[in-house]
Parts: sequence; C-alpha cells; structure tokens
Amino acid sequence: MALPLPPGLTPAEVSFLAEMELVTVIPRQRLDSIELLSGKTPPLRPPHRADLPLWLALLLKKQRRANILPPPWLHPDSLREIIHQETTVDPQAFSEPPPARHPRADPARPGRTLPIHQDDDGFILSPPFRPGSCTADAPVGFLPYHWLEVAEMLLAHAADDIGAPAGEVRGLLRDLVEVRAAKLRNSTSVLEGFGGGLMSLRGVGAMELAESRGFVLSVVDGVRKIGASTEAARREAEEEEEGADASDEDMGL
Amino acid sequence: MSYYDIDAILTDAEKIPCTFQLDIPDLGYLDNAPDRPLKAGTKVNLPFWLAEMLAIANAGDVDGKQYITFDLPPALSNDVVQALKADPRSVPLRDQSAHFYALATRMMELSDEPELASVLRKTFVTRASEIALHARKVGGVGHSKGKGSEEGSNLGIGGAGEEFLRGLDEWERKLFRKAHDGAKATKEWMETIKRH
Repeated sequence: MALPLPPGLTPAEVSFLAEMELVTVIPRQRLDSIELLSGKTPPLRPPHRADLPLWLALLLKKQRRANILPPPWLHPDSLREIIHQETTVDPQAFSEPPPARHPRADPARPGRTLPIHQDDDGFILSPPFRPGSCTADAPVGFLPYHWLEVAEMLLAHAADDIGAPAGEVRGLLRDLVEVRAAKLRNSTSVLEGFGGGLMSLRGVGAMELAESRGFVLSVVDGVRKIGASTEAARREAEEEEEGADASDEDMGL
Repeated sequence: MSYYDIDAILTDAEKIPCTFQLDIPDLGYLDNAPDRPLKAGTKVNLPFWLAEMLAIANAGDVDGKQYITFDLPPALSNDVVQALKADPRSVPLRDQSAHFYALATRMMELSDEPELASVLRKTFVTRASEIALHARKVGGVGHSKGKGSEEGSNLGIGGAGEEFLRGLDEWERKLFRKAHDGAKATKEWMETIKRH
C-alpha cells in the first residue's frame, strides 16, 4: 500500500550495482586517471591492460576508445564445465561461488604466490563486495555474484570482444539460467519435513535472487504458518519438560 | 493477520460442522425449528468465528461442559487428506475451500493435528515448485503474444496446466503472482539491456 515495490532490489537496481564490477580493458587511446568517489581510475596507456568499472568500460567501448577483455568464466569451455557441474556432477546444489581468493603471482617474489585470503583492507569473503571477480584474472569455472548481469551486458554491448561466437555463449547462458531456475524452484522441497526448514542459496547470483525473492519468501512464510501450531505445541512440551527438570533439581537441593 | 485482511475475514466465515452439547432455548431457528429449543446433540454448521468462541467458552456448568464440539470441515476430511497424501498436485484445493490453507491453520490452532500439519506442509511445498514452473511458463507465453518476439518458452500452457492453476487456493494464488512478477521483471530487464 505504502510502497508499490516489493522488498528487495528490482532487476534494474541489481544491474546498476553490477556496473560497479571491475572489468579488464585494453585501451586504444591514452586517458588520464579520473577521480571518482570510489577512488581514482588507473591511467590508460595503450597497450597496457587496466581494470575499470563496467559502466566506464562500456562507455569507452561505445566510443571505440577501448576493447573489453571478457572475464575467463564467460568462455564457452568454462560455461560448459559449469553446466556439466550443475547438471551431472551435483544436480542438487548450485555450483560453488568463486573461491575467496585464488592464488596469484607475487610481483615482489618471482615464482611464488601471494598469500591467499589476504587483502589490503583485510578479509573480503562475501560475494557482493569481493573485488576482481569479473576481471581478466578471475578464476575459471566459477560464477561470480553478478554473473548474469555482467554477461548479458557484455553480450549486448561488446559482443565482438567476447572472442567466442556470441550466439554460442548466449545459448550456453540460456541453458545455465534454465537449469538454475529449475533448481531454485525445486529447492523448496527441502522444506518438506519438520525440522529441515533450511534452504541453501549458496552460489545463487544477484539477479536470480531478485527474480525469486518474492516466491522463496512466500514459500518459507507459508511453511512457517502451517507449522506454527505444531511448533507452539512442541515448545510448550519442551518448556514443561524443562520446568519438570528444574523442579527435580530443586527437590534434589 | 490484520484486522482489515479480507482473506482472514472470509476464512472466519467458513462453516464447520458442530454438535451442540447442551439444550439451548430460543436457538431452534438454527435447526429450522424456531418454536422449539435447540436440543443437545443437534448437528449444525456454524461459521468458524462463532464455533471457535463456543468451543473455547465454558458453559459455566459444574461439569465444565462445552457448548459445542466440532469436527474437521469437509475440506479437511479424511478423503481429502488421503488424496493429498497420494498426489498433492492432482487435488484442486480451491474446490475444497478458497481459503484452504488458512482454514487448515485456524483449525490446527484449535485442535492438535500433527498428521494434518505434516501432510499440508508436504502439499504446500510440492505444489509451490509446480506453481513456480507455471508462473514462468505463463510469463513466456504472454510475452510472446504481446510483442511477437522471442519464443519465451516452448512448453506453453496445456490443458493440464490450466486445470492445475484453476485449483489453486488463495495462498497459492499469491505465490503464483509473486513468482510471475519476479520472472516478468527479469524478462523486462533483459529486453531493456539490449536497447541502450
């Protein structure tokens, strides 16, 4: 009544947030560093690669001043591997989110990797705030939090930079979306038994959450309402038992 | 449950079968006999809100007798529960009661029915995933009709799907609406992304 929007973010808001993800570009022209609220962008000097926010990268791409390097997980082979993982290896769970921090080469000590799980600002483990999940050195075979939004935007505006045929990538993405949507629908069945009222949404992307939020919340709420009286009875019984125990102890003392 | 919730009010108006335990004068019109008192043992269908009050209230007798005892309404009868146990998807809940789950939860508040609760829970959850599937499908078909682009979904709504959707109770209709809105919003976003 008060607010026409349902709780949570709308798809438009989710994709707006996804534009903050960093992607790797290969500039074609020089561009000095720009001071933004979130910090300075790296100065662009062709042919050195640089990480830019997606919105800026798309802007430069439209002006033909840069090419976007697609993130490695968008490669058809990586997508096929994820689909294989989702359909045959583990048809129940969603594929794992990217590891907290994959080992990277340490520029100071050649031949060694940087310690895992450490960032300049401390530990950043939760998906929406994890940096570098869509840049060129992102891990292969893992879907980041904003996978669908970033993939769709790149396909729509930078299809010629993807490398692989855009139609193939699009087809694989569509398969992946369908497989995961079916999983999300059926994941409600774990709520069937009493006591097992947990749905795991690990590895679900931002756009999928935005799409299914209303449905999932309603299902959980419905199950809660149906079980409310049983739950109340169980609690009462438990309290009585505890009360009995307590009085026994009192007697003992 | 809000005071103005129309669904809660309609749920309260559902009739449930009651048996009077006492003779009550001047209530004979409930049994189509206005000139006689209502006899103990008479079976009358009373709306839930009245039955609830009468069942809980004590008649003030020394025996502590209740005014009425009530049975489960036909919507929650053994036949329906057995059918739901066999296959939750094939039972048109709306034919039993438009407020099937709401009525069932109200009944369970009054009397302990652990088996009913677990059957209902299974029914709700199983039907929920079916509902989500239909919600997605309908979106696809409506979309392709509206704009004539994209195939949407190749499944379409067949006769069976339509029948299933007609048998949804109010809770499930809300669920369908939510699932459909989500799928539609995402689809619309996919369209806008290509435009700019």
